[in-house]
Amino acid sequence: MLKRCLCILSCLLSLPALATELAVTVLTEDGKPMPGAVIYLTSEQALPGVEEGAVATMDQVNKQFAPHILVVQKGTQVSFPNSDSIQHHVYSFSAAKTFQLQLYKDNNPAPLPFDAEGKVELGCNVHDWMLGYIYVVDTPYFGQTNKKGQLSLNIADGDYRLHIRHPRIEEASANLDRNLSIHADEQVAIQLKQPLLPGLNEFEDDTDEFIGYE
Amino acid sequence: MGIRLSGLASRSLRARMLMVFLLLLAVIVIVTLVTVQKATYRHSTGQVQDHARTSAIVVKDKIQNRSRQLESALATLAKDFNTKQLIAGGKQDPESLLIALRNHQRRINADLSWVTDADGELLTMTQDLPASQLTRQLTETSPIMWRFIDGRYYLLQGVAVRFVESSPRVNAWLFAAVEGSRLITPELVTLTDMQISLFSPAPEHQLIASSFSPAQASQLESKTLNWTPGLHQVSLSPAEQSSEFIYATSDIGSSTQGPLKLVLATIADKAYLSYNSLIGQLILILAIAGLLALGAAVIISNGISRPLTRLVGVTNKIRKGHYVDDVPKSTTLEIASLSTAIDEMQQGIKQRELEIQQLAYFDSLTGLPNRNQFNQQLQRLVDDRHDPVVVMMMDVDRFKDINDTLGHNIGDQLLNKIASRLSHIELDNLFVARLGGDEFGLIWFGDTSHTPKSLANQVVDAFRTPFDIEKLRLDLDLSIGVAVYPQHGDSPANLIQCADIAMYSCKGHHRAFAIYRPELNKYSVQRLSLMSELRSALSEGQLQLYYQPKVLLDDGNVSGAECLIRWIHPVHGFIPPDQFIPLAEQTGAIRDVTHWALNEAMAQQQKWSQAGLELNVAVNISPLDLVDMTLPELVSHLFSQYPDNLGGLTLEVTESAVMGDPDTAIKALEKLKTMGVILSIDDFGTGYSSMAQLKKMPVDELKIDKAFVLDLATNAEDQVMVNTLLSLAHHLDLKTVAEGVEDEASLTFLKQAGCHKAQGFYMSKPLPAAAFDDWIRQAQDRPV
Repeated sequence: MLKRCLCILSCLLSLPALATELAVTVLTEDGKPMPGAVIYLTSEQALPGVEEGAVATMDQVNKQFAPHILVVQKGTQVSFPNSDSIQHHVYSFSAAKTFQLQLYKDNNPAPLPFDAEGKVELGCNVHDWMLGYIYVVDTPYFGQTNKKGQLSLNIADGDYRLHIRHPRIEEASANLDRNLSIHADEQVAIQLKQPLLPGLNEFEDDTDEFIGYE
Repeated sequence: MGIRLSGLASRSLRARMLMVFLLLLAVIVIVTLVTVQKATYRHSTGQVQDHARTSAIVVKDKIQNRSRQLESALATLAKDFNTKQLIAGGKQDPESLLIALRNHQRRINADLSWVTDADGELLTMTQDLPASQLTRQLTETSPIMWRFIDGRYYLLQGVAVRFVESSPRVNAWLFAAVEGSRLITPELVTLTDMQISLFSPAPEHQLIASSFSPAQASQLESKTLNWTPGLHQVSLSPAEQSSEFIYATSDIGSSTQGPLKLVLATIADKAYLSYNSLIGQLILILAIAGLLALGAAVIISNGISRPLTRLVGVTNKIRKGHYVDDVPKSTTLEIASLSTAIDEMQQGIKQRELEIQQLAYFDSLTGLPNRNQFNQQLQRLVDDRHDPVVVMMMDVDRFKDINDTLGHNIGDQLLNKIASRLSHIELDNLFVARLGGDEFGLIWFGDTSHTPKSLANQVVDAFRTPFDIEKLRLDLDLSIGVAVYPQHGDSPANLIQCADIAMYSCKGHHRAFAIYRPELNKYSVQRLSLMSELRSALSEGQLQLYYQPKVLLDDGNVSGAECLIRWIHPVHGFIPPDQFIPLAEQTGAIRDVTHWALNEAMAQQQKWSQAGLELNVAVNISPLDLVDMTLPELVSHLFSQYPDNLGGLTLEVTESAVMGDPDTAIKALEKLKTMGVILSIDDFGTGYSSMAQLKKMPVDELKIDKAFVLDLATNAEDQVMVNTLLSLAHHLDLKTVAEGVEDEASLTFLKQAGCHKAQGFYMSKPLPAAAFDDWIRQAQDRPV
């Protein structure tokens, strides 16, 4: 899983025009690092589209979505493998993508295209506790903060609008989004103004290993 | 019953016990009733309160359960994938959602359901109600939530719908509601056994639901109810039995309008049913207990009072003199001891009765039967008509003197000896009794072998021998009166009286016995009453002095008068002196008579003296007047009272006057003589005069008894006797007076024989003072 993610990242990082590095630090309202925050940059300029046939994976491991939060560029195909030995019934009623998949062991349905921007909340009809998010963004410049709340993006110079998203962030998007003119390496620190939504600590490690939920 | 003790204040023991029992019972009953009534009323009230509280909890629980049931049904629905799908597609396809919602509503038996989206926008609802009144989302929950929608109260539940269960975001809200009116079910009424009503007191007093009949429910809604804790009353009509209800209220959640209330009501009679029946039973029990206790009291009191009544009967018998062998016994200790005491008392009475009988019928000194027994014996014989019965009354002459001079000890010994002698008289059928003092009674009830006279002689013979007591020799004179049944009397009283009369008659004549003769009784009845009348006769002036002149035989002049007492009784008329003087001597009234006579005579003499008449007055005195020295004192007093009297005073004394106590009598006479009183011996020649005695007596005059004078003119023996007496007097140097001169021949004889004075009917009969004065005026003009 981690390898795949890194792979996608490496693909992104390997783009030629990307010379400038944007370092983003997200802190919670009480000044702690905010890991797993989804950061992406949009621009009025045309940005490179998604690579044809790009497939991202939202696996079911140990009766959890893995990863918890998946960020994909619009048009990316997302496959939903089932690494558990049990059945899952993955669905979404989110406007960005409504679907349901009966996932049986060894039954690998075809990856689904995520063509609309937005947040897709994933659930499993069989396992109420399972919760996963797919953020579909219309930009190649996106990422998630690490444990230190940091993310560094290599982007082309230009004017961007920086978006920050997370299921636990309640604040209206407008309050957190900001415009950026990137011409050189830049560091942006963002501190949330409202407390995080409660719960769901389990997912914040951004780790595939999840123990003791239930 | 005879046990009335002190009038109205005494009640029977039984009544008293019953009263105490009843009183006690009444107190116990009242205290018990009041206590139990209070306690059970409190208890009943507490029970009703508890009942209401429990009922409220039950109702509340039921409603809460209904609410939870709604909630859990909604929660299940909210998790249903299809529901989520329908809600997610609600905007596009509300019809499907509505139908699914209605289906679910039917399943959970709700009345209203609706769905809102995450923003609170209504997606669909099962009834066409104003959407504005609907709840959009729940910010907080409570077990019981009420909503006022379109004029009705609903029990509401709602759940959040999350499309992904673990999501922190709410995607929609599902609501379901049940109409409040449907919540108060018959089942609840059965469970709680109370009438349940659901109220919204504010803002408008509204009855949401009630188990009451519609009519009562609407009444209840119109009443102003008391919402404070505790029990209250409300009356609703028409009720089946009673219109009074007891109710309690309880909170049951709240709506957006305000809190809702439960009203739990029960019929007042029903609420206190157990209390009322308990009180009823208690009264019944107490009544039965009271009757039982009363019965017990009756039995106990009977156990005491019945033996008591029997004992009262026994004591009444004892009182009447019947002795009871079997005094009732009792098992009750107190009664038994009373019974024993009565028995012992009876024994004591028996014993004492014997003693009393001894005392009553026997003389304690001599051991002879007493007067009672004497009377009874005589009565018995009279009742048996025994013929003959000879009654003898006997007394000892001058026994009083013996007692006085020798002492009572000697007197008592003498009486004992007399009794002994009488007892030893050898006569069959002789009953001897001591009647008192020196008086003895004898009854002889034999055949005709003895005459009364021989019987009396036998008694007299028994006393011929003198008595020797303590070296004294006493010779007794007896007086015995004899009466015989049936000749002298037909009743014991008559016989005794006759015997007494006979006895008294022999005293005067110094005979040992006398047999009753009717003439002895001539004045006997009268005598007895005269005795008591004599004193009053003195004070009332019934006694008068009559004056019989004494004439000097040598010159025919009147020398004086003998003063003779006359009793003119208002009933009996004239009573001669020899009838009442002896009586007066017996009763002691003779002294008063003598005093009166002396005083009267001296007063009359004073009148005569003042009229120039010098007349000697002669007054008879009794032997009793000479037993002490009072007579000389009186005479001395009279002399000083009438100092100017002329003629002097003569006292006439019988021979026997000095016989009793010669020394004292002679001393008194000598004293009188020194005072100038002339002493004359009356009735001279009739008594057993002792010449020796006569010689000692300081007399001046002899008075020849009329027995020798009346026939003097014709009787030669009397003439000899008078001559002898006159000669005797002459030689003793005494003056002589002859009385009873009734003719001239006698007077002439006396004059020739040398008698000094004479008195008699020939000269004049005794006259009252006025007539005497007339007589003497004529006599002065007449030669003798």
